[in-house]
Amino acid sequence: MFTRFEDYAAAQMLGHPDSPPRSQGKLYFSADWQRTVYGMAMALSRDGHFEWEDFRQQLIAAIAAWEAGACAGGQTPWDYYACYTTALIKVLEAHSLLQPGELAPLMAGLLEISAPARAPV
Amino acid sequence: MSSLFAYDDDREAASAARVRALEALLIEKGVLGSDSVDAVLAHFDTVAGPFNGARIVARAWTDPGYRQRLLEDTPKAIAELHFPLGMDGAEGEHMKAVANSATVHNLVICTLCYPWPVLGLPPYWYKDPVFRSRGVREPRAVLREFGVPVAAGVEVKVWDSSAQIRWFVIPERPADSAHLSEEELAALVTPEAMMGVALVPSPVP
Repeated sequence: MFTRFEDYAAAQMLGHPDSPPRSQGKLYFSADWQRTVYGMAMALSRDGHFEWEDFRQQLIAAIAAWEAGACAGGQTPWDYYACYTTALIKVLEAHSLLQPGELAPLMAGLLEISAPARAPV
Repeated sequence: MSSLFAYDDDREAASAARVRALEALLIEKGVLGSDSVDAVLAHFDTVAGPFNGARIVARAWTDPGYRQRLLEDTPKAIAELHFPLGMDGAEGEHMKAVANSATVHNLVICTLCYPWPVLGLPPYWYKDPVFRSRGVREPRAVLREFGVPVAAGVEVKVWDSSAQIRWFVIPERPADSAHLSEEELAALVTPEAMMGVALVPSPVP
């Protein structure tokens, strides 16, 4: 019996296409943003902003879309947490917690701040 | 960070920026608490995970009386270690420990249940029907493929976890580990060793 939302939510994914990467019994994150987005989706659903199953369906759809691109050729390399981020944005938009296009200016600002450090000299 | 899943730098920067922007926006809107993410992830880092099972095994290695109690009444012995609240949920009930020895090697397979609070999140292959059926039918061959050859004179016992009993293995304590503290011993124990599909290696000198 699951007594914690965190366990219930993680359990729903295991053995399914939306199962998260893991290693030696722990969730596997290769970057901090992956850890953040994983925790964000879980925290928002736990707090009642959307049903976990609604998020999962968006995630399964995002993974299926990536696979369809794979068959067609030329798509980006596999990235579970990119699909996870797409799914979270879609479920937030579906619940009117985020407006389409609202994220882009903020994201562009963040990229601009970090861009000079990566620009060729 | 592992380079196993290394990405293109620009794509990685864009993904990180998207998530940072989303987090900032949701906090600003009052939808997400500033510490909500850390609170959720702390559950997997500190409450329920393979670190609990590793602590149990290390205590059993260092305290023969505890080992005996663990084998006789596993839930009661686990309770002695005062794990965090919530540890007994998530299929952590009805635990039963079995111990490997020079004459017995235990292998746990899973039909229905997996004790998360002790072993952590299960690996991909654990609920695979092929692993389960071969684990029952030819456990020595399966163990050999996992890199655990079991000598002919050693008995192999296979345990099928269910809602009534969730098994885990006390692996054999590695050689050359007498000098290690309980905490250092726990760091050597992996979930796979507690399923019986791996041995605990000796510490690196």
